[in-house]
Amino acid sequence: MSALVLALLVIVSVVLTIQSSYTLYMMIYTWDQPEAERLARAPDSFAPPTLSFTVMLPARHEEEVIQQTIDNVVRANYPTNLLQVFVICRDDDQGTIDQALAKIDELQADGMDVVDVVVFDDLPINKPHGLNHALRFATGDVVTIFDAEDDIHPDIFDIVNTVMVRENVNVVQAGVQLMNYRSRWYSTLNVLEYFFWFKSRLHYHAKYGSIPLGGNTVFFGRGLLHRLGGWDETNLTEDADMGLRISQLGERVRVIYDDRYVTREETPPSLQHFIKQRTRWCQGFMQTLAKGTWKDMPTRMQRFLAFYTLAFPNVQAALGVYVPISLVMIVVLHAPVIVALFSYLPVLLLGAHFMIHVVGLYEFTEAHGLEASPLLVLKMAIAWFPYQMVLAFAALRALHRQLRGINNWEKTSHTGQHREAWDAVAADAA
Amino acid sequence: MPRSLFATLTRPNGRPLLAALVLGAASHGYHLFRYPLYLTDEGIYVQQAWSVLRLGHLSPYTYFYDHAPGGWLVLAAWTGVLPGQFDTFGNAINTGRALMLVVHLCSVFLLFEIARRFSGSVTGAFVATLFFNLSPLAVFYQRQVLLDNLMVFWVLLSLYLIIKADNRITTALAAGLAFGMALVTKENAVFFGPVLAFLLYRRIRGRSNRRFAQGFWLFAGGVPVSFYLMYATLKNELLPSGFNFALDSPPEDHVSLLYTVWWQLNRTALGGNGFWEMMQDFWLPKDQLLLGGGAVATLILLVMGLAHRRRNEAQLVAGLLTVSYVVYLTRGSVLLEFYVLPLVPLLALNIGLVVGDAMERLPRLNGRDRVVKCVSVAALSGVLLTPLGGYLVVRGDQGQLQAHDMYRLRLTDLQESQLAWVRANVPPAAKVIIDDDIWPALHDNKPFYPFAHSHWKATADPDVRDKLFGRSWRNVDYVVMSNKMRIAMTKNNADGREDWILDALDNHSERVWHLTRGDVQLSVYRVDGTVAPADTSDQEEAQR
Repeated sequence: MSALVLALLVIVSVVLTIQSSYTLYMMIYTWDQPEAERLARAPDSFAPPTLSFTVMLPARHEEEVIQQTIDNVVRANYPTNLLQVFVICRDDDQGTIDQALAKIDELQADGMDVVDVVVFDDLPINKPHGLNHALRFATGDVVTIFDAEDDIHPDIFDIVNTVMVRENVNVVQAGVQLMNYRSRWYSTLNVLEYFFWFKSRLHYHAKYGSIPLGGNTVFFGRGLLHRLGGWDETNLTEDADMGLRISQLGERVRVIYDDRYVTREETPPSLQHFIKQRTRWCQGFMQTLAKGTWKDMPTRMQRFLAFYTLAFPNVQAALGVYVPISLVMIVVLHAPVIVALFSYLPVLLLGAHFMIHVVGLYEFTEAHGLEASPLLVLKMAIAWFPYQMVLAFAALRALHRQLRGINNWEKTSHTGQHREAWDAVAADAA
Repeated sequence: MPRSLFATLTRPNGRPLLAALVLGAASHGYHLFRYPLYLTDEGIYVQQAWSVLRLGHLSPYTYFYDHAPGGWLVLAAWTGVLPGQFDTFGNAINTGRALMLVVHLCSVFLLFEIARRFSGSVTGAFVATLFFNLSPLAVFYQRQVLLDNLMVFWVLLSLYLIIKADNRITTALAAGLAFGMALVTKENAVFFGPVLAFLLYRRIRGRSNRRFAQGFWLFAGGVPVSFYLMYATLKNELLPSGFNFALDSPPEDHVSLLYTVWWQLNRTALGGNGFWEMMQDFWLPKDQLLLGGGAVATLILLVMGLAHRRRNEAQLVAGLLTVSYVVYLTRGSVLLEFYVLPLVPLLALNIGLVVGDAMERLPRLNGRDRVVKCVSVAALSGVLLTPLGGYLVVRGDQGQLQAHDMYRLRLTDLQESQLAWVRANVPPAAKVIIDDDIWPALHDNKPFYPFAHSHWKATADPDVRDKLFGRSWRNVDYVVMSNKMRIAMTKNNADGREDWILDALDNHSERVWHLTRGDVQLSVYRVDGTVAPADTSDQEEAQR
């Protein structure tokens, strides 16, 4: 029996090592491939504005941040007449509607009449339903989504217009970056997750044509969205699902991550919100996996990559259970040295992951004019294991909800911490 | 054949590389199993590889961390995949030597490419491999199953990957991993670390992925080392018991990696055997051209490199690598004659770089500079191969032309005769003191000799010394030895640990077999309590 358990430990350790190495490689893919790094950069010069954009701003209880977001969009460096902006609310969210209307009045006074509030009153109350509702009124060549707390770069429309026109692509995913890397104990690691995901991993997915898209700063040809029938309203990660459906069609997705032009966001304001957000993502991936779109992708690599990504929350949940059990087994069963050395392999990979997070921290802060320090690295090291446990807990929670058939949308609240952080940097710079 | 090697060989200037590989295969492969004599250390490493495969342990005795195990793990892996395992090439040491030939050819490829990239000159690269392939220092030691040969390969691989200008993190990672393998193959590779790190720093400076490249190089370099440390930790053998690092009273209850490292760091050469003695006694007599020419080339490169660090970065690095290893050799610790090995490719590289630089400075001769280069290489080859250089053809005692000993003498035949006599005349159950070179044969081929142990273990390993032999000549049946083993026993006897074996030899045994050729003397003694009256068999041969 103990021999069987030890053999199992060795097999799981080897599988985990391979899985961890693969994930690690995707995290550094852009830095490893000079060509990918070149592709990730925004164009040096912009094409003349030709495409019109419908900007969707789904908002629920976003009174604190919605006005600033609307302002950022309409004052972007792009002709106003080529913009159409929808603030999407449900009729029971009067606070956000009032704030949006007040902003619209203010803009109209300045001669800008491109913003509307689109209100829906039916169920379900979630983002994809709001987006589908607004899609009916969209007239732009390109439809894009920003979250209510997003700080977009003024040149973002120029960049996407240039890429779409020059490269004749229908879908562009631009970079999104959490900024408040020092706000909470988990912020640094959360920020770096985004950094590696958008700056590197998505490029790997795009290369192999199997990409779970992000929820904002993503641009679609309107015709393509209609062809796909809009977003899946039953899916908690409608964005990832959309990406895989697009990949299934063989549509090329272009990913741009240029530090200068990313959309800035914030980490969830509390651990509770963080767990809820992560639970939603994990459960959404589980739903998408069960839905099976990935099975219909044309190539084996596409199917593998989609499966690997969607199944990851399950692996994470299993890991949360496996790590303590394996440690107990090694001690209780007095594992032979060779078995213990195999168990050491995933630990080494954990070390590699931490190392690239340290490097990533310095890369991120340098790219955005912020500061990293050995103290912050130390804090990150202390937070590392609890953070992994929180992720594993969220994955287990998602699994529990999925098995129980609970799939309501647990909304993440936004308080504009990233704007405060960024304002502080700007003030320092000034 | 790896795609990159194929691409290199088939490009227009790939022919010199192909020639270098063929030359290396010929110089090292011809007579590989006949010369030089099987060495004690070869036997030890093959014995430990045997232990990995057959017993699942790093050593058949108590492993006391005298060397990191990377080298014999590779040897075990090589043997494990061969159809006939240890007997694939006749005997276990020959099988190890076949790996050394493969490693040499890989090193030739790496050295050629390093020299070509450093100097920009194919001529320089070919000259470097010319010395690396033909120098008697190279051929003599590189044929032997030595950890240093494997370590050199890993260091060259690491260097090659660092200067491979593909701008990738995975290449830096591979370079780090190769260096880590070098460290766990032979720890003295650590002396190359600072210069390799410096070169990496220079090569990735200004690149957008430099932090990742640095991080992964360091991390990957640490991986094999951390496995080694983890192994010791899991066996509870990292620290000495009671944290006792006293050199005069080693901890008794278990071995310790860190104690051994501390002991080795503090071990100084006793009564000579220093760098200059080695140079005079062993290295210069084998090859003055490489040592002299390499030393001059190193000085030239250092002057060039220090004068223009940025422009002559390659020259500086090559010079510093050589200096680093010379520092290791001259720091006053125990030296063995084959410790010169890592110096061989470095000196060859330096000569190649200087020649390459000179060739690149030649005035353009309307396309005839290629002819000049070919003539220069041919002239140099002529010097090396003829009695002038003495690399291939030498003058014998009577002034006659003859091939160098390396390509002519069949020395290992003598050891095989000794082994054959043992098999024919010594019962397998006998308790035998041997040298390590015949250990693998006596333990891996039937009939097995489970009680045959080297004098090193018979005087140091408690299980062998106390339980089997009881430190008494009365418990010894035979001693199978050579004149070199006798010298080693005398040197190893500062504290009297070899006394009981020497007592057996001098006072209680008779010589039952003996063979002499030149300065090689092999014998077998039967220990029976009486003073040896006369040989029962004597097959002395006059030196040819």
